[in-house]
Amino acid sequence: MKEDLMDIICCPLDKHDLELEVIRRDEAEILEGRLVCTECGEEYPIEDGIPNLLPPDMRDEAAA
Amino acid sequence: MGILENKARARLFYKYLSKVYDQINPFIWNEEMRNDSLELFGIEEGDRVLDVGCGTGFATEGLLERTEKVYGLDQSEHQLEKAYEKFGKRDQVRFHRGDAERLPFADDAFDALWSSGSIEYWPNPVDALEEFRRVVKPGGPVLVVGPNYPRSGVFRKLADAIMLFYDEAEADRMFREAGYGEFRHVTMGPDYNPEIAITTIARVPGGADEAPGATAAEIVDAPADASADD
Repeated sequence: MKEDLMDIICCPLDKHDLELEVIRRDEAEILEGRLVCTECGEEYPIEDGIPNLLPPDMRDEAAA
Repeated sequence: MGILENKARARLFYKYLSKVYDQINPFIWNEEMRNDSLELFGIEEGDRVLDVGCGTGFATEGLLERTEKVYGLDQSEHQLEKAYEKFGKRDQVRFHRGDAERLPFADDAFDALWSSGSIEYWPNPVDALEEFRRVVKPGGPVLVVGPNYPRSGVFRKLADAIMLFYDEAEADRMFREAGYGEFRHVTMGPDYNPEIAITTIARVPGGADEAPGATAAEIVDAPADASADD
């Protein structure tokens, strides 16, 4: 994901802002990292550049 | 209504259907129908558009012909993999995994929102339609394509048994309940089944060019940035 995505994404549960923690990036993209809700603390992973913003109760179902 | 009871069965059905989806899908949702829907959608170059339930990217491809700012969201990694093959994973389209009923986007983040062939998966369609209204700017278009309730024949039997369909009356109810005042439905389909899909084009309340039917008072009382029921 590109960093400017932070301008429009939010926590799917309570719609509060997310904080970006970068683990790995190249010039244009954040490839691995975490998006952490500033309100509820829920963590959403960034996997191979794709932010996984599924609510936690849907992650297992969709992972199959 | 029986809709929610049927939902679980529909999910199971689609789970198996998804394995052959790209072979079956063109029979009910083809390029011509997509282009007709794009005409109704009416977006312009530069518009930021969210494609909810983008799946393998069939509609996404049409959206990209109209604007370069396309954002795709889908629940299923398997469906997205096919879209990555078409567009690249981090190239023409920005992809996200997420839930239609709990969108991970801020209020008014998009100029327009498109969702085709996805509503039949949602347990609570009205919740998703409310979310669409929230993330699209006032006055922006929301377009939803779903399966029309068949009038007769084998498809009707199938609809009653496992799949989720809705007719115009049901679409009216869902969009009204989700807070839309201005919307209309168009049925579409291939020649041999011309009403198999129902496309609804709605407009998020509060825009500058409010519905022609709206009274002057409603327009004056609803400033674009502070709609009372948002």
